[in-house]
Amino acid sequence: MKKVAYYKGCLASLSAKELDSATQALAPKVGLKLVELESVTCCGAGDIHEAEPDYYLHLNARILAYAAAENVDTLLTVCNVCTLNLRQANFMLLGDADLRARVNENLVSVGVPAYERDVDVRHLLWEIAEGDGYEQLKAAAHRGLKGLKIAPFYGCQILRPSKIQGFEDPDRPWSLERIIEACGGEAIDYPAKIKCCGFPIIQAREETALGELIQPIEQAYEAGADAIVTPCPLCHLSLDAWQSKLKKATGRDFKMPILHLSQLVGVAAGLEEAELKFKRHVVSVEPVVEKLRV
Amino acid sequence: MAMQVGLKVWRFNARTGERELQEFEIDAPEEATLLDCLDIVKDRHDGTLAYRKSCRMMICGSCGMRMDGAAVLACKTRMYDVAQSGHVPVISAMGNLPIVKDLVVDMEPFWDKFKSVDPYLRPGYDEPPEGKEHLIRQERMNVVHKEALCINCGCCVSECNAMESDPLFTGPQALAKAFRFVGDPRDGHKIARLEKLNGEHGIWECTRCYFCNERCPKGVDPRDAIAKLGAESMKEGIDRDMGAKHAKWFVVSAKTTGWLRETELVPKTQGVVSAIKQTRFALDLALKGKVPPPFPPHVAKDVREARRLHDLVRDQGRSGYAGIVQGERALARLAHGHAGEETLDEIYARPGAFHRPYLAGEEIPAGADEGMGSRTQADVTPGEQPTQKPEGGA
Amino acid sequence: MRAAIEAYDAGANVGVISKLHPTRSHSGAAEGGINAALGNAAEDSPETHAFDTVKGSDYLGDQDAIEIFTREAPGDIYQLEHWGAFFSRREDGRLAQRPFGAAGSPRTVYAADITGHVLIQVLYEQLVKRDITVYEEYFAWKLVENDGRCQGVVCWDLLDGGLKTVGGKTVVLATGGQGRIYRTTTNAYACTGDGAAMALYLGVALKDMEFMQFHPTTLYPSGILLTEGCRGEGAYLINSEGERFMKRYAPNAMELASRDVVSRSEQTEIDQGRGINGSIYLDMRHLGAEKIIERLPGSRELAMTFAGVDPIYDPVPVRPGAHYHMGGVQTDNDGATELTGLYAAGEVACVSVHGANRLGGNSLMETITFGRRAGRAAAEWALSHTTIEVPESVEADAERELKAMLGVERGERPWQIRQDLGTSMLENFGVFRRGEQMEKQVEILEELRERYDRGVVIEDKGEVFNSDLTQAIELGNMIDLARCMLQAGVARRESRGAHARPYDFPDRDDEHFMKHSISRWTDGRPELSYDEVRFTKYEPMERKY
Repeated sequence: MKKVAYYKGCLASLSAKELDSATQALAPKVGLKLVELESVTCCGAGDIHEAEPDYYLHLNARILAYAAAENVDTLLTVCNVCTLNLRQANFMLLGDADLRARVNENLVSVGVPAYERDVDVRHLLWEIAEGDGYEQLKAAAHRGLKGLKIAPFYGCQILRPSKIQGFEDPDRPWSLERIIEACGGEAIDYPAKIKCCGFPIIQAREETALGELIQPIEQAYEAGADAIVTPCPLCHLSLDAWQSKLKKATGRDFKMPILHLSQLVGVAAGLEEAELKFKRHVVSVEPVVEKLRV
Repeated sequence: MAMQVGLKVWRFNARTGERELQEFEIDAPEEATLLDCLDIVKDRHDGTLAYRKSCRMMICGSCGMRMDGAAVLACKTRMYDVAQSGHVPVISAMGNLPIVKDLVVDMEPFWDKFKSVDPYLRPGYDEPPEGKEHLIRQERMNVVHKEALCINCGCCVSECNAMESDPLFTGPQALAKAFRFVGDPRDGHKIARLEKLNGEHGIWECTRCYFCNERCPKGVDPRDAIAKLGAESMKEGIDRDMGAKHAKWFVVSAKTTGWLRETELVPKTQGVVSAIKQTRFALDLALKGKVPPPFPPHVAKDVREARRLHDLVRDQGRSGYAGIVQGERALARLAHGHAGEETLDEIYARPGAFHRPYLAGEEIPAGADEGMGSRTQADVTPGEQPTQKPEGGA
Repeated sequence: MRAAIEAYDAGANVGVISKLHPTRSHSGAAEGGINAALGNAAEDSPETHAFDTVKGSDYLGDQDAIEIFTREAPGDIYQLEHWGAFFSRREDGRLAQRPFGAAGSPRTVYAADITGHVLIQVLYEQLVKRDITVYEEYFAWKLVENDGRCQGVVCWDLLDGGLKTVGGKTVVLATGGQGRIYRTTTNAYACTGDGAAMALYLGVALKDMEFMQFHPTTLYPSGILLTEGCRGEGAYLINSEGERFMKRYAPNAMELASRDVVSRSEQTEIDQGRGINGSIYLDMRHLGAEKIIERLPGSRELAMTFAGVDPIYDPVPVRPGAHYHMGGVQTDNDGATELTGLYAAGEVACVSVHGANRLGGNSLMETITFGRRAGRAAAEWALSHTTIEVPESVEADAERELKAMLGVERGERPWQIRQDLGTSMLENFGVFRRGEQMEKQVEILEELRERYDRGVVIEDKGEVFNSDLTQAIELGNMIDLARCMLQAGVARRESRGAHARPYDFPDRDDEHFMKHSISRWTDGRPELSYDEVRFTKYEPMERKY
């Protein structure tokens, strides 16, 4: 078992509890021992990075410091935005000794351990798309997806900026497809899979955001997808919870189920509804569950 | 050395509206760029192909176009790997701008947005001493160093997801250019500029897709420039926009409960009245448990540390864009990889390295020469004997 | 742009005509810096700057022009800084100045290694601030002469199509050089000498046409420029044996000798078999990664992208390439040509500031200082005269010519002639020149002109963005400018500055050739005469570095 520090982020703690529940149940099946970090805060998303960038740096340094204190090499995330924020803060600290010294001094003075041992921040997606994690995945996905057509939606921040994320080619990513196939599903290809769901401006500029949001849903629908899978709970929130607003704006009712990555793999690995918590989704996942039951 | 390159080019005639995907197969030298290949097509296959070009050294910004749907500078794009793999790329005009012909877009909307941010210095009242230069430290100028690299090529604009959804969005290029002046110490109109940039189609319409950062061929990172504008706006108390309120609530959440106070996010961002209008929508979400009750608050462990951190860093002078600029040096290292970690001896000793340079009859000093121009005169003639040019010229 | 800004500020109604969007012009590709005797890095004076320039010109520069230039340069730099130009700074916050070729004191003001880019941005910003009209992507084709005055320009509207004539009381040419005459050049595709050709065809005198500067460090094989600033920061030039060969040619100045000297030294090394692939190496490894990344990031990126080499780890293959044309349209110290109403400034002009060889960093400064002077002079003349008259026949004639060009159905494509032009010019009129080769080139150019006159096939017959057409017109311009260059080159039986004839006339001959070559177009061919060099206080001396 690979011991990793687990930072679940805000949504998995609150409105997207199903993500945390599925992840925690799935982890041991793919060889991950999660050590949940508790003395942490929101990573700040793009918002604190923009509003108070120095505070953003410190909040993320604190998360990294507590992860490092668990004596692990990897800090595991389950959200695109958390991944980018933590990795960016990490590179700032790793690449500038003076900056790291100053931040550490501040951390220590409020009672946080200094960030000394380096950790690497990795999304669960990366852990199970290749190497050991992938082998474990294949072994675990015994129930399979019975050829279900799944449209992978990467969203933005797991791929870009690629000089910070760097796991795969930002224009030709393959990780979700590989996982879908390993789970026995059929991956659907469509252009908007790497475009923005619009979540960051879904409140401040709703119309613009909906103009973005409709693209992946419509394209996946027209390609015959049974469901969309995404590694980001923020994308999940807009794709799932805001679908009703799309219906209101365009008159089109796609009824497209949206799955978290952990849920998709979880289904293939035989997790129960109590762990998957599909009932928490706004757009019903019943059609998918039906197809798999048969 | 030659290679075979296949290209599929989208031809377009704006007057007739005709579109056609044409395929070309050409012979090109191994070092050829996409631009070189287009030249070969235009010279030897189809003289009607239209595209812009000039410097061919990635500084003029003329040759922006899409290769396989992603904007690039044609002169920067080497074709060797693509050709070797057998892949035939699709070349098309940049996005988000009307197409004039083939790969030529109408740049007028681009320049209009550029002009809308008053892209020139608006000096303050301090005159520099003796009519000479303003005295500015290099680090202070470096605040806008990345934004000053912009060559107005349009690659960022081409891929902007927000602009695709709303063509009126000011866009990454204009906003990056706006920061170039907001951050310039000689500019005296920072507040007025920021007020304007906080408007309906300004910084808060950016969807943070990071396509601009990804596509920019010069490393400008427009998204970061937009973040710097946001940071500076908030620092100056310009925060009436919903986007600003949304951002502020994240800060409040972090230092009070640690985790984001999601439920209150809507009224805090959009105001109570607007929140009430969303009741139906909110109810749908609430029924699924997606609206966590604000009471009791979901508080993270040891959140007092976060609270104290906030007060501590607030007074350390890195607020506003300074907080983002402070990380740029370290992040720039990412692009350079591990360059610069070796000693000079190690560099000369690498396998296959070219010999250490020498000066006939002299040791080369250990450090680098300053290379000052000569103050004295000495002999120069082009060789003692007339030179024989080898066959074939240089 | 500098001329336009000045003319606007002087109260004139200004229109800028450009075949490219203004920020695409090739001045933006300049890298190393811009010279002015500010005295920030070390003691300096306009007199020292003037002496260096005069000597650098191999004493062919007009000294009154040079004195004006060096005296006014500092003020122009401060003006640019006040407008917001992003220059690199010293520790004390003053403008930084780096050493450059043949400079007695480090006076090259710079912005990392993207000085041209920074300048073109600040000028365009000032243009936008004043809302100056730009006729963008208008290809300037013919100057309008009427009643003994230049009164406008006939253009082909590249974007929308059609002939458009822009009338003006005065016209300032700021159209740059014609490096594209050579196959290996630092110049952009756009540098085809259109402005010089337009003036030439009107019978206006072109001066010192034989002097083409070959920049010592152009990347192999593309010809892309690597700035002299690399050498200014301490880079070495080495041959295939790793030797810093400049010791044998310019033992004091070494890599920072005058450009013509360095190019000749490199060419000699290459010719004598100590080159690699027809190039030598620019070695920056000893500068260290930090200095390279901080001061020369653009150069590093160019080397990596276009030569596949990271200068931190490996030396970069470079060779001489056609870079800057010292010659051009003859003007007085205010940019006025001999045709009333026609002015010129920058590379297209020949005042002459640079004589037989230009110092690095002086060209950018010239565009600013003389751009300003020409703009003001043109504006003042225009404001004190009232009429513009463009005869209808001018556009009608152009229309006919256009139709004939587009009507050619069978013949060569322009690229074939362009390729032969570029290759032959490089071989027969390059860094080293021989009498017989030049004579041969005269004939080759006659042949090329004949081939061109037989009619080249322009495949695009359309109106919208017909760059096939404009490229064909550019080719004609280049052939005729080359003919002027060759005629002057053959006749100059000496070696001076960039005109090097080591086999037949290796020495400078002040007695017979201390004079400017003048080319005028007569009956479809160039005619050569000579003009005096203007002296003030610098006596011609032997030129050594």
